[in-house]
Amino acid sequence: MSIFVIGYYTLLLAASCLAAYFNKRTWFLLVFSLTLVSFILGIVGGASMLRGVAIAAGMLALSAMVAYAFREFLIAIASNDMAKELRTAPLTAAFGMFVIFTYAIAGIFAPWIAPFGEAEVISTAFAAPDGDMLLGADQLGRDMFSRIIYGARNTVALALAGTVMAFLLGALAGLLAATTGGWFDQVLGRTSDVIMSIPSLIFALLMLSIFGGALANSTTSFWLMFGFAMVTGLLVVVAKAENNVLSWLVGLAILVGVSAAFSLGMLTIFNPSEVILILVVGVIYSPRVFRLTRAVAGNVVVMDYIEAAKLRGEGKWYLIRREILPNSTAPLIAEFGLEFCFVFLLVAGLSFLGLGIQPPTADWGSMVRENATLISFGDITPLIPAAAIALLTVAVNFVVDWMLHRSSGLKD
Amino acid sequence: MGDILGLVGKRLGIGLFILLVISVIIFFMVELLPGDIAQAVLGQGATEENLAALRKEMGLDKPAIIRYLEWLGGAVTLDFGNSIVTGERVTTLIGQRFMNTLFLAAYAAVIAVPLAIVLGVLVALLRYTVFDRVANVATLTSISSPEFFLGYILILYFSVNWGMFPAIASLSQDMTLPELLHRTFLPALTLVLVVTAHMMRMTRAAIINLLASPYIEMARLKGTPPWKVIVKHALPNAWAPIINVVALNLAYLITGVVLVEVVFVYPGIGQALVDSVSKRDFPVVQACCLIFAATFILLNLAADVGAILTNPRLRHPK
Repeated sequence: MSIFVIGYYTLLLAASCLAAYFNKRTWFLLVFSLTLVSFILGIVGGASMLRGVAIAAGMLALSAMVAYAFREFLIAIASNDMAKELRTAPLTAAFGMFVIFTYAIAGIFAPWIAPFGEAEVISTAFAAPDGDMLLGADQLGRDMFSRIIYGARNTVALALAGTVMAFLLGALAGLLAATTGGWFDQVLGRTSDVIMSIPSLIFALLMLSIFGGALANSTTSFWLMFGFAMVTGLLVVVAKAENNVLSWLVGLAILVGVSAAFSLGMLTIFNPSEVILILVVGVIYSPRVFRLTRAVAGNVVVMDYIEAAKLRGEGKWYLIRREILPNSTAPLIAEFGLEFCFVFLLVAGLSFLGLGIQPPTADWGSMVRENATLISFGDITPLIPAAAIALLTVAVNFVVDWMLHRSSGLKD
Repeated sequence: MGDILGLVGKRLGIGLFILLVISVIIFFMVELLPGDIAQAVLGQGATEENLAALRKEMGLDKPAIIRYLEWLGGAVTLDFGNSIVTGERVTTLIGQRFMNTLFLAAYAAVIAVPLAIVLGVLVALLRYTVFDRVANVATLTSISSPEFFLGYILILYFSVNWGMFPAIASLSQDMTLPELLHRTFLPALTLVLVVTAHMMRMTRAAIINLLASPYIEMARLKGTPPWKVIVKHALPNAWAPIINVVALNLAYLITGVVLVEVVFVYPGIGQALVDSVSKRDFPVVQACCLIFAATFILLNLAADVGAILTNPRLRHPK
């Protein structure tokens, strides 16, 4: 019997007795079942197993405390309305928000946080961790920790850009289809049916096999991005200009300029092969967004106040922006979170297959693959970027879960 | 019965039509390449004679429509032409691999489907207890993790640390079934983890939805024992959503298999697809994509048909 074992059980038993004394039923059940589980596992696996259980329980308790504190912090700094909403957030959602916040900080301030550059070779291949390198070196002798920090910037930024593209196209098309109806609605609906009936990973692989390689140069990716931006913007022009020839012309002229500027901007942020990846994601996921937006907006369009606005003589753009959008924000935001998870996993998967973000850019998916050999020596370093992917996706899902529950008023 | 056959036939027709459209997309996307496949294969430095010879050999001198019809005709009779990298017939290249993938998917499905349905019903019955909360967090984590993360964790523990299962799932012809099941256990388990989580959540949602309906409440109020409420009142109506859930997740299994095959170096069709994408071996890419899309559509179709068969209301659309 080591001191650890005695201390551990004393602590647990004291906590459960306290909980029972103060009539905290849930807490008592929680702590006492933990005691029982540790008891059984301790007999089976000995002190080392018990240590594992204690560490796991401690981690869980720690994340619960962080989540609780972060929620209280948010409530304290938020305005009254926001604070009321935040109070309904379960601990899981608060934890999710905390993780997203951490990733955002890591991504934005990557160059200041990371001790070395993302492509800087500073050591020998697979060097062990030391004072300089927190997690050791990767297969080329680059600092693993710095690359993980930079990965938060590269991988997440790309997935976010892809989601935004998919969302702009899908949501605009959905809103317009709901307000216009008729053949326009039918054509868009059937097109999205066809695209959605190809599995997303397979479709992405097909498109990358064509647009990858030599085609991923700045000219091609510029024109592809330009085309995508034009299609998206065209939906706005259609909604705004209606049947006025002059506003069509003005709208188209503005559109060409904006699309060109936007595509050039994208090309300065991302390199050509990443732009192609963003477009692939946009094409694959916009039909899903379209479906949901169409369904949500379809329920709003039949309302009386829309009828009243139409009789008042309001145009489509006004209907979309002032009447439909404010009444469908909640499900759309939740959908954005969900789509981000899908996109993020797809991009990570593609990078893992060596077809996504290209080296030497630090990216979590490809880092797992490059260092996978270490796993057969029992080293967990390659799992850290994979865990980073999983953690962010889980976090976003937690937050989305809460928002969906709140917006749907689901009290089942 | 006549109207059921008619409805099923109609769904089948729609499925076939979508497959046809997809085959057009798959074929003509390759046509988007600047120049043509011959140029892409031989690179910029190819001489005019070489290009002409390759074009003649691949039939690129014919118009695209004719080539599409020939390709489609070949695909229907399982002849996808020759690989442009190795020159082998695509059918021999991916035939055996396709069977391997089907084996892996079936292996995972046999474990996952009963497990997920039982657990899903259980979680729905115990909803809003600690058990349900834990299951919710666990399934969400499993869904959110990339397949390769789960795969590598399993490799780390089951094969490196404890040495129970092999990390690499290579197959040979003369393996017995138990040996085969042992060898492919880890990839199957990875798929099981992901798919079970999906299916559990969907089953839970379907059952909870059902338990909220008034006739279940009526059964409860008249004092029917809980197990009888589930078995006699809820289950007959729950089959439709459950069949739907199973079919949709089997479809998901088909794509999830790609990453898992790469992690475990499993000789399946997903691995072949990834290899041929990086080598830009278009006939193989097209064939694999068509096979995956066809399987996906078939399973979605099965979900639709299952829903029609188990829900009489769908047989009389308004």
